[in-house]
Formats: sequence, structure tokens, C-alpha cells
Amino acid sequence: MFPNTLENAFLSGWLPGETVPTLLLIAFLGAALSFVALPRVGKAAGVVAAALPFTLFAAFLTYVPVLATGDGVPTIMQTVQWVPSLGINFVTRLDGFSLLFALMITGIGTLVALYAGAYYADKPAADRARFLSYILLFMAAMLGTVLSDNLIVMFVFWEMTSLISFLLIGFNSASKEARAAALQSLVITAGGGLALFGGLLITGMEAGTFSLRAITLEPSLIAESPWFYVIATLVLIGAFTKSAQFPFHFWLPNAMQAPTPASAYLHSATMVKLGIFLLARFDPILSTSDVIVMVMVGFGLTTMLVAAVMALRSEGLKAILAYSTVASLGLLVTLIGLQGPGSSVGIAGFILAHALYKAALFFCAGIVIHATGATRVRDVGALFTLLPLTAVSTILASLSMAGLPPFVGFIAKEYVFEAKLESSFAGIVTFVAVGVNSVLVAIAGIVALRPFFSQKSAFKGEPKHGEVWGMTAGPVVLASMGVFFGLFADIPQYFIVGPAAVALSGAPFYVSFEIWHGLTPMLALSVLVIAIGALMVWKWDAVQSAAKSLSFIDRFSVEKGYNATFQGLLSVARLSTQTLQNGQMRTYLVATIAVVTAAMGYALLVGAFGPGAAGFAFPSVEGDTIRPYLAMVSALVVAGALVAAVARSMIVSLVGIGLSGYGIAVIFMKNGAPDLALTQLSVETLFVVIVTAVLVKLPAVGDGLKTYSRFDIRPRDALLSTAFGAAIFLVVLSIAAKPFNPSITDYFAATSLTEAFGRNVVNVILVDFRALDTLGEIAVVAFAAIAAWAILSLSDGKGPADLDPAHDRSTRGVSSLIFSTTAQAFFILMIAISVVVLFRGHNEPGGGFIGGLIASAGFAVLALALGVNIAAQKLILHPVVWMGVGLVCAIVSGIPGAVLNESFLTHQWVDLNLGFMTLKLGTTYLFDIGVYLTVIGGVLAFLIRVQQQTGSPDAKPSDALPADEPAPNTNTQGASA
Amino acid sequence: MTFVYAATIAILAGAGIYMILAQNVVRIVMGVALLAASANVLIFLSGRLGSVSPPIIPEGTDVLAQTAANPLPQALVLTAIVIGFALTAFGVALVYKAYRSLGTLDASAMHDAEDMGSPFTPSQAKQ
Repeated sequence: MFPNTLENAFLSGWLPGETVPTLLLIAFLGAALSFVALPRVGKAAGVVAAALPFTLFAAFLTYVPVLATGDGVPTIMQTVQWVPSLGINFVTRLDGFSLLFALMITGIGTLVALYAGAYYADKPAADRARFLSYILLFMAAMLGTVLSDNLIVMFVFWEMTSLISFLLIGFNSASKEARAAALQSLVITAGGGLALFGGLLITGMEAGTFSLRAITLEPSLIAESPWFYVIATLVLIGAFTKSAQFPFHFWLPNAMQAPTPASAYLHSATMVKLGIFLLARFDPILSTSDVIVMVMVGFGLTTMLVAAVMALRSEGLKAILAYSTVASLGLLVTLIGLQGPGSSVGIAGFILAHALYKAALFFCAGIVIHATGATRVRDVGALFTLLPLTAVSTILASLSMAGLPPFVGFIAKEYVFEAKLESSFAGIVTFVAVGVNSVLVAIAGIVALRPFFSQKSAFKGEPKHGEVWGMTAGPVVLASMGVFFGLFADIPQYFIVGPAAVALSGAPFYVSFEIWHGLTPMLALSVLVIAIGALMVWKWDAVQSAAKSLSFIDRFSVEKGYNATFQGLLSVARLSTQTLQNGQMRTYLVATIAVVTAAMGYALLVGAFGPGAAGFAFPSVEGDTIRPYLAMVSALVVAGALVAAVARSMIVSLVGIGLSGYGIAVIFMKNGAPDLALTQLSVETLFVVIVTAVLVKLPAVGDGLKTYSRFDIRPRDALLSTAFGAAIFLVVLSIAAKPFNPSITDYFAATSLTEAFGRNVVNVILVDFRALDTLGEIAVVAFAAIAAWAILSLSDGKGPADLDPAHDRSTRGVSSLIFSTTAQAFFILMIAISVVVLFRGHNEPGGGFIGGLIASAGFAVLALALGVNIAAQKLILHPVVWMGVGLVCAIVSGIPGAVLNESFLTHQWVDLNLGFMTLKLGTTYLFDIGVYLTVIGGVLAFLIRVQQQTGSPDAKPSDALPADEPAPNTNTQGASA
Repeated sequence: MTFVYAATIAILAGAGIYMILAQNVVRIVMGVALLAASANVLIFLSGRLGSVSPPIIPEGTDVLAQTAANPLPQALVLTAIVIGFALTAFGVALVYKAYRSLGTLDASAMHDAEDMGSPFTPSQAKQ
């Protein structure tokens, strides 16, 4: 009948090489395009969107004859090279089972798109388009999941379906319930996904391949692995969460907050069957263990029972259907647990039948809800005249669900019963199956009869609409298919269920899928089920109130446990945030310092007593004699620091720090570091000047705390500080004990004069070898100064040069004639010295940093004597401008180097012959001038701003600053030095 | 002398930490200054001490004598001193501005940011 074999399908050309990956690509491109296109097509969006799944459906149909006629287990594997060098390829696997899913996904997807277009006809175009785009994207992700052969690729698509499900359940984002349900489904399915990911990774590592087909063709690879039970557990968790198995079942009924088209598509026909799909694919591995089989059967049966009871207790139309879906999924999990060809026919047949009738029923429920606005069964009735086609479709679908002949649901159920009777657990499984199936029959009856025929609960309100073709088309098509496949069972047997069952069982066998197979035990069970179901329909109200009276179910609800866990996690998070992130800087500091101290202690312990260590290494004392003079200076440094730490008076603390700083300068001086000594001295002076200026404006004693003790003693802090200091002490000793590597120093020592033409190696390092670092450092100084300038900004934005010294008494200096006279001379002297220091710095102690600091100190003296505004005027330019000039000088000095084929800041030298002598000039001088100016500008920006802000001796914090006031008759020319 | 310097560095660091743990923000800034000084001496020491002659190449020779002090840590410390000064000066400016706007020097009383963005009520943040 269909002579095509796999080979000639490829060769004949009507199926090009990588068709399946191409179809997947089309699905994703189409979905992506829809986000742009659908908002622009108005009310036709549903029809336009349906074109994509319909095209794919038609394309997948062409594979049906190919897979129905191949030898063995016909499978089409196609590979797209992705990163061939790493062996990463995108492999698709199309066999009977994945084709069954692909056809359901695209076929029902077509109807869902049509339905959603009509369902959202009254809604804003943007909402409608967004919903349809999510549906199309979901469809693409589903196809990706069922067609991928690589476990990791499959998992990515799997998670994508969870995420899109989240978006669709929470689509009505204004509703709190919808958001909560969306979050719950995401937490459960994505949490299960995490478990699954772990399982897949271990599987891949144990098997040495991530190809699902290769792994399941050799089940022993995993079955004999020591990780088998870990893998099986993780995979089961992933599948059970996705397919809403007990105890994770509760998310699915809550997910009915989703718009009905999404419920029909995701939460009945497709996504929730992914767990079944995964279990069926892994079955060759899982079924090697009787324990795992028992677990699957046990959880499947429990899920069926729980769902059946919950369905009887539900009132909402969609909720009842949702619980019946959960029961069906439980049935499928049970079937996978049962072995034998019969169960694979049952699985394939039941997946097909269930998708057809359950999607149809959801569609019909959606039509009823959409037309009436009522969601509960007891609120609707007698709608037959309003919705005749819907009513007929509902009845047909319900009969299929109830498993009556001649519907496909009947045939599927017969094979399900056959599988159960075949199995070793026949007794209990059959018993549960009969009970649950009776409930399904009852549900079918209620859903089909109540809304359309019940006069008791006749709908009183004004219906919004009757039949709408876009919505009615779906259920009519699906319900008719249910009848058609039942009457002509040869077609699904040969083309759909047969190939799927063969793919599931992994070996070809004769598949029978017939409506009549004689007077069998299965038929007897069917009759029994239908009889009990019919009885329950008749006595529905009594049954429901009996089910509701089982109040113990509410007390043992799994969902309550989930909620309690969720809330518990949130409280723990809140508690830990309140403890750790409490807004108290002290807490953070204590934690940070304690951790740093502990880390140092740990490193010291490991270094001294860890494996291979030879105890704590103290530095050699040989030749390292104590120099009494420096020991005394060190004692002075220590004393200054300790006084600063414990004195309550800020001024005393400042004096202590100053003392300490000068002591450090002496240590530098006496250890061959005159540059450092000069820098330290100038910085310490300027630090004391600036901090004093601020301190006089702050509460002099302490911090406004209640105690007025002369000492600031905090025992716990003292303990932590002592521990920190002790750790530092040992760390310093261990550093000093290590052999010294002089290679970099030797390089500088050898090349300083010969290559950089400077005798002061420190200065050469700063302006030449490490010039780029120095440029960065002066830029940091400049930024800090600008930031401080902005923080202490004058409200009217006027710079210091605008201020009249005579206008503002408070910014004047001390009133001492002698001081103010000598200060001017002193100032000029210091500026001159600073320039000398700057230029001799390349060969002798000095340089831009030290020169700049000395010049700044000169300005500080002037400000002290004559007032800060006089000092500012002597500066001629704004200090921030000086910083800019300095930075430009430093940058420009690097350009010749960059231009002359070398690199930026490689300094260039020329010999300037003046007749009587030869001057050697280099761009390093310009760089050092840049440093000099930046330092002056930066320091004075701090100094001027702080002194201006704090100048008024009697200003209270809330007072307007004198310097803020506009100054009439401002003498801006000023005197310049 | 190494032990003396190590003790000096350790006490400077400990005193700095002690001041940083104070509630008064001025003390915190001063503590940062002490900690910076401690770090400077540590870098200086890590280049090994012992020589008293500055790293300057005398007239008549082309290379630095082996007996001269190590210039590398000196160059590092020199910029570190200036940067440390810029940091503490900026800190002082910040403290002064904070006192002007908030009227307090108590670090635990400065929680405007926490009040604004805290997931808890301001009263909880203040406790």
C-alpha cells in the first residue's frame, strides 16, 4: 500500500535531508516572528497563528506512511552539525512514539490557535497577540522536547515548556490567584526539572553519551551502574512533577487559572504528558528494577485514587476536568509500570484517545464559561438550544471518555484493562482501575448532561453569545475524530497507535487495535464500569456531598504542606536578612573583620602545621640588630595609635594619629627612603589641617553619646581588634621569613639611569616605568577631590574666587600681625622650594608628588594666616581647573612616545645644546609637572572647600553657610601671587 | 628590627580596626587612616629593610649599588600615601556633610537609605 522505505524516502527527494530539524527551526522562527506580526493583523490573529501549526501538522503527516511501513522499529535520526569539533550535534529522533506526540502537538495546536483567536476576540489586540505568540512558542518548545535525542537539548526544551506554562497560567496577571498558581506550578515543575537535570547529567556521564536512543538501546549501561537508583529517583521526580503525579498533583487543578485555551493545550493534551513521554522513553532502563516498577505502579494508582476523590468533591467545570486529567495521567504512569506489548498498545491508544476527548471537553467547557460567565457546574444548565454544536461535541467526547463503543476511548480502555489483567499486580490494579474509571464515566456524564440539559440548574442570566465558529470548530473536529477512529480502528492501528506501540516496546510485533474482540473479561469490566458510572450520574448530588463530607482529606492536604514549606522558607529568609542585613554598619564590619581574621588564622595554621609544613617559620634574626633609636620611634608610633584609639576626645585622637604619622616618616627616613619621609610628612600635616578644620565644627567630645568618660573603652571590640592585630603580626613575620625575590628591583636598579636617564630610582619608577599606574593614581586623587568638592558644594554653585574676603569675617585667618606678615614670605619660599623639589626629583629625592604636597602646605599656611579666600585667590585658577591642567600635562607627555612607534607614556629624550652646557630634557618632566599640578589642585580642593564650609565659628548645622550667600561688590580680580 | 616593625604594623592595624568599630563616624575615618598607615609600613617592610642609603645612583656609576634601599616598595608606598590621604580627606568631607544633613555622628543613627529601601518597617531597621 505504501511502498516507501526509509531509504527511498530520503532519496526520492520529497523529504529533504534534515527535514525534522528544519521543521523545528520553522516552528521557532514562526513563533518569534509572531511576536512582531500578530499584533498587526487584528481579529484574524487566530487564523493567521493557526497557519503555523497547521503547516507543521501537514508536514508531520507525510512521515506517517514512512514510519508505518519500515522494518524493525522505524526511526528517522537526523543530525545538524553544531560544534562538530567538540562533537556537539543537534540530533532529532522521529519514531512512531514521537510522531504521535508531534501530530498531537501540531494538530491540537492548530485548533487551539483558532479557538484562542475567537476566545480573545473582545480583548485588546495586544493581549490576544501575546497569548497566541506564547501558544506558538510553547508548541515549538514541545516539539523540541519530543524530537530531541540529546538529553541536554531535550532538557532545555523541557524547561522552556515549564517557563511558558508559567507565563500562560499567570496570563491574567491582574489576578492574585493566577499569579500564585503560576508561581506554584513553576516552583514545582522547575524544581522537578532541577532533579531531572541532575538525573540526566549522571546518566550521560555513566553511559558516556547523551544520546537518549543509544542509552536506551543498551539499558545495562545504566541499569548496572551504582548510580542507578539515584538516576531513577531523579528522573521519576522530574516526570512526576511535570505530569502532576501524587504528591505533586495539586499544581495542575490550580493551574486552571490559565485561560481555557491554554488549559486545553498545556494542561490536558500536551505538556502534562511530557512526564509520561519521558518515563516511556526511559522505560527500558527503569523496568530493569522491580522496585522502580513497583514505585511507578504505586504512585500511579495513588494518583488515580486521590484525583478521583478530589474530582467528586469539585464544583468548577474546569476543576472537575483537571482532576480527571490527573487521574488519566496516573493511569498512564501505572501502565508504563506494567510490562508487555499490551501495555504499550494501551499507552499509545490511551494517549491518543485522551488527547482527543480531553481537549474537546476543555474547549466545550471554555465555550460554556465564555458564553455564560459562570464557572460552576451547578450554575449552568439547559444550554442545548443556545449551543447545540457544542452540546453534541461534548456528548461525543464524553462518551469516548466514558469508554463506550464505538468510540476510540472504548478501544483504548479495552487495551488498558487487558494490560492490567495481564500484569502480575492484576488484582489491586484492576480494582482501582474499575473504581477510578467509574468516576471518569460519572464525570463524563455530568459534564455532558448538566450544562446542556439540566432544567434544575437552568442558566438564568443573559448569555453573551451562541456558537462562534472559531471556538466550535475545535471540539467538533476532535469529537468527530474520536468517533471516526473508533469506527475505522484500522487507521490508528496501522498508522498511529501501531508504530507508537512498536517504538515503545522496542521490537516489532503485531498490533491489534480493534473495537470488537469477543466476549472477553475486558468487556465485562467495561460493562461494570459503565454501570457504576451511570449510577453515580443518577445520584450525583448525593455522591458529591458524601465525598465532601470526607473532611479528613482537607487536613492531610499536600498543598498545605507545600504552602507551609514555602512560607517557612520565606520566614527563614526574612529572619536571616533581618539578622545579617540589618542596616547597622557595625554588624557588617564585625562580620567582615571576624571572617578576615579567621581566614588569616586558618592560612597561618595550614602554613605552619598543614601537610608538609615544618612549623611556623620566624624570620632570621641574624644580622638584624635592634636599632635603639628606631625602636624608640616605633614605640612613639604605637603610643600615638593607641592614644588615638582609646581617647574619647576627637582632638586627642587626631594628635595621636599625627604623632604616629610623623613617627612613620622618621622610620622611612632612617631606612633609606627620603622620598617617602617627605611625602609622609607633608601628607600628615595636610591631614591634620583638614581634619582640624572639620573637627572644630563637630561635637568636640565623643559622638553625642551619653557618657562623658575620657576613654573610649569597648571590651568586645578590643578583643576583636587584638585578634586582628595578632594575626597581622604573624602574617608579617611569615612574609619576612620568606626568601626575597629581587628580580624586579634588580631590573630597575640596572636600567634606571641607562634607559630612563634618572638617578632617583623611586622617581623613575613613578614617572617612567610605572607611569601608566601613576597616571591612574593621580586621576583617583582628582576624582576624590571633585567628589568632595561636590559633596561640600555651595548651594549657589559659586567657586571660591567669587568670594570677597572682606565680606566674610569667618573665613579670615588668625588675627596676628606677625604671623600674617611672615606667612606671605613663608608662602613664597615654600612655592619656590616645591618647584625646586619638583625638578630635581628625577635625580635626587623629590618629584611631583612631594613638590605638590609642599606647595599645598604653603597654601595651607597662607589660608591659616590670611583666610582661605586669599589663599584661593593666590591660586589664580580654580583648583579643579588645576587638576585638569595637571592631568592633561601627564597625558600629553605620553603622546610623543605613542606617536614615535613605541607605546603610550614611553618617554622621549632630547639633548638641548645651549652652548655653555648641554641640557638633557625628557617628557618625564612634563609628566611630573602634571603630577605636581594635580596634587596641588586636589589637595587644595579639599582644603578650600572644607575651610569655606567650616569657616564660620558660630554657625549651627542648620544655619545657612556664610559662603553660600551671594556677595555683592565682589572683588573678583583679587591679588595674584 | 623586623619583630619591632611587625609589632608596630600589627598595633597600628589593631588600633585602626578598633577605631573603625566605633559608632562615631569621625573615629571610623580616623581608623581608616591608621589602617592605611599600617598597610604602607607593611609594603615598605615587605621589600626588606636594612639599608640606610637611599635608592639613588651616585654620580660616576651607571647602576644602583647593591647596598642601596629597595626602590620598588618605596614607589608603591609613595602613591599609596597620597591615595590614602585622598581617601581619608574624602571621608572627612563625607562625615561633615552627613553631620550637616543628619545632625548626628552616630553611624547606627544614619539609616535613611535602609528606611527607604528596607523590606522591613523603619522601626525594625532602627532597633
